[in-house]
Amino acid sequence: MGLIFIRTVIIFITLFFVMRLMGKRQIGEMQPYEFVITLIIADLACIPMADTSTPLLYGVIAILTVYFLHQIVCVLDLSFQSAKTVLSGRTSVVINKNGIDDSQLKANNLNVSDLIQSLRSQGYFSLDAVDYALYESEGNFSALPKKDYEKLQTSLPVLIVEEGKFDEHNVELSKRDEHYFLGVLKDHGCDELKKVLVFTVDGTGKSYLQVKGEKYEVFNLNWEEALW
Amino acid sequence: MIRTIASIFITLGLILGVSFYEIHYVQTTFQTFETALRSLKDKTEHGTVNYGDGLAVRELWDTKKMVMHVWIPHIPLQEIDYQLDEAIGYLYVEEYSSALPKIEVLIGLSENLPKGYTFHVGNIL
Repeated sequence: MGLIFIRTVIIFITLFFVMRLMGKRQIGEMQPYEFVITLIIADLACIPMADTSTPLLYGVIAILTVYFLHQIVCVLDLSFQSAKTVLSGRTSVVINKNGIDDSQLKANNLNVSDLIQSLRSQGYFSLDAVDYALYESEGNFSALPKKDYEKLQTSLPVLIVEEGKFDEHNVELSKRDEHYFLGVLKDHGCDELKKVLVFTVDGTGKSYLQVKGEKYEVFNLNWEEALW
Repeated sequence: MIRTIASIFITLGLILGVSFYEIHYVQTTFQTFETALRSLKDKTEHGTVNYGDGLAVRELWDTKKMVMHVWIPHIPLQEIDYQLDEAIGYLYVEEYSSALPKIEVLIGLSENLPKGYTFHVGNIL
């Protein structure tokens, strides 16, 4: 039984750190340690239950060990701020007044597409519709919208350039070509495509451009007619 | 918070208590069984053994085995059953030279099985 205890502790700690390293995308709406428990508790219960050659006590001890570890994590989480950061992670502010914080996205193994998807799921279709956006430690997404943000999103923005690469499908959708958008980027002081973190355009030509390490810029391409 | 901390110590105490009892129980039981087997081996070597001696060892094992199922997986116990039955079968037909290797295997199992349940790096990993 002592061996089961130590083996369960080892598996728990390994799973826990793997989950923490994977970032918020994998966690969903649980704290990392809760996710680890969810992963292992079902098998711990099922294997001794179904396998009659294994003493049932093996499962009971392993489950008790998981409970013991859960209680320890709870105490650490509630008592020590530094432990809380290690165990549960920090809230990541991925959009601030300057636009997208690329380093925070990367720290959580996310990209701009994931961020846009999270924004859409919250009802914000345009990157400039929010002042702040953040991923909570358990993976939930929250955003603080700008005042009258509905007026900023009259048409669906699509990604033209994401992290230095054109989205060919969306370029085609805009009925322009890559040269046209390279010209737009040049007009706004960006000579190299690879420096672009994100460039979106909506059906009316309203654009959102953020060069890596710089503040975002919103401008209008003054298209003659709305495309979508 | 107090309840949580209390639950930590109670759970830890319970787990450690069960763990040390398991190690103690498994070792003591196999020591008793091994002593019986060594006695059976001596008698077999000297040709003074009889079928009843074998049955006595099996009776001892059957009593211990009932509780042993709680502590260790059933497959090693089945292996002991198998070897013991064969040894007793040879004693029944008075083929002592064939029974000896079986008893030797049983002594080996009795020595080695408890080692698999001690706190040892090899057992943990």
